[in-house]
Amino acid sequence: MNIDNYISSGAIESYVLGLANAQEAAEVQQLSLQYPEIKQAIANFEASLEAAAFANAITPAASIKQKLMFALQDEFVAPVVSLPKTDVITDATVEAIEEPLVKTAVVRKMNPLRFVAAASVILLVISGGLNVFIYSKYTEANEQVTALLSEKSTLTADNKTMQAKYTDIFASVEALSDTNIIKVSMKGAPGKESNLATVFWNSRTKDVYLYANNLPKTSSDKQYQLWALVDGKPVDAGMLSADCNGVCKLKNIVGAGAFAITLEKKGGSPTPDLTQLQVIGNVKA
Amino acid sequence: MEAVTKYSESELVLLLKQRQQSAFSYLYDNYSGALLSVIVGVVTDTELANDVLQEVFIKIWRQIESYDDAKGRLFTWMLNVARNASIDTVRSKGYQNSQQNRELTEATYDAGGTTQIQTDQMGLRKVVHQLKEDYKVLVELAYFQGFTQDEISKILNIPLGTVKTRLRTALIQLRTVIKQ
Repeated sequence: MNIDNYISSGAIESYVLGLANAQEAAEVQQLSLQYPEIKQAIANFEASLEAAAFANAITPAASIKQKLMFALQDEFVAPVVSLPKTDVITDATVEAIEEPLVKTAVVRKMNPLRFVAAASVILLVISGGLNVFIYSKYTEANEQVTALLSEKSTLTADNKTMQAKYTDIFASVEALSDTNIIKVSMKGAPGKESNLATVFWNSRTKDVYLYANNLPKTSSDKQYQLWALVDGKPVDAGMLSADCNGVCKLKNIVGAGAFAITLEKKGGSPTPDLTQLQVIGNVKA
Repeated sequence: MEAVTKYSESELVLLLKQRQQSAFSYLYDNYSGALLSVIVGVVTDTELANDVLQEVFIKIWRQIESYDDAKGRLFTWMLNVARNASIDTVRSKGYQNSQQNRELTEATYDAGGTTQIQTDQMGLRKVVHQLKEDYKVLVELAYFQGFTQDEISKILNIPLGTVKTRLRTALIQLRTVIKQ
């Protein structure tokens, strides 16, 4: 082909000015790679276009640069020249490229909103996590309170029992320290020598108190019964109740010479079963 | 105050691709006037042209990755960004409405013969107006108004082949005029 003819055909100008269609542009590009003259002709025309534009330059309004620097402020990298920078075009900016100027400003103003939105989401997640954490703590604390309350009521009940026991013991000590009290130690019957029980008998009021020092446990259908020997005859002095743990007040007795305990059927018997004699002791005058 | 720096075109492009603010500032300071003359050539209204200039610099900044120095000079690429943005503005509905009356009186292809373009003949357009009338119309339609050659052949009612050859001849003349 004739290079000079091609150069003077106007194809190059058409290409540089952006008037060539895709096919024509590809042709010029292809030829410029093959022929330095064409490449040079392109460069010459570009240079003269540029020179013409500079020769006719019009100073823009002073506000334009300010507006641009403001509009693009989020897109500049920090001025650290030494670090190699990679592509920082985000999806947002790629989108924004397609937007006309009016919308561009809107996109840029979106950035703080996006920041706020992102921050909100993060806060929501943190808040959600915190809720779960606090709820688990709350449940835990609730369980602890319930446990403490039940422990407290147990302790209160125990305390009441202790108070009752203390009152009983205090009352017993008071009763047993009376000057008219006669102490009767009842020793184990033959074959049951380890048994021991004590009767405290008030000779003035005739009150009888029994303390079971050592008596075997009974089965649920049996009960220990205290007898007083009055004029050689056994008189019922009361049953040893299962719920009496200390000194138990039994029936009042007048003129007893001795006391004894037998194991009887539950509720007691009118006469003692002497084969079941547990302990016996005489009243010392 | 920054020290006065002079970048070569390839340095400037590299720094722009690295998203350096100083490079953008330099680009604006050095090219905004030349690019505004290109925009005014199409848009004519100075205030609107300034708006387009702002848009053009945002486009240049955001599309700098698509500039390939193997295909031409930076200014040529920016010139085409500016020209396309200007034509888009002129073709937008709002502009069409506001310019409707002027369009009828000023359009160079309309009256034929003694078209009067007034004070806003600037830059490349001024150069174009030194061309012969037949050529001037073609460059006006193709370059400043962005019509394809096919569209021009319909507008002017001349065969496409004629449009092609005349436009090329017009551009050759344009080259000669620019060089003067």
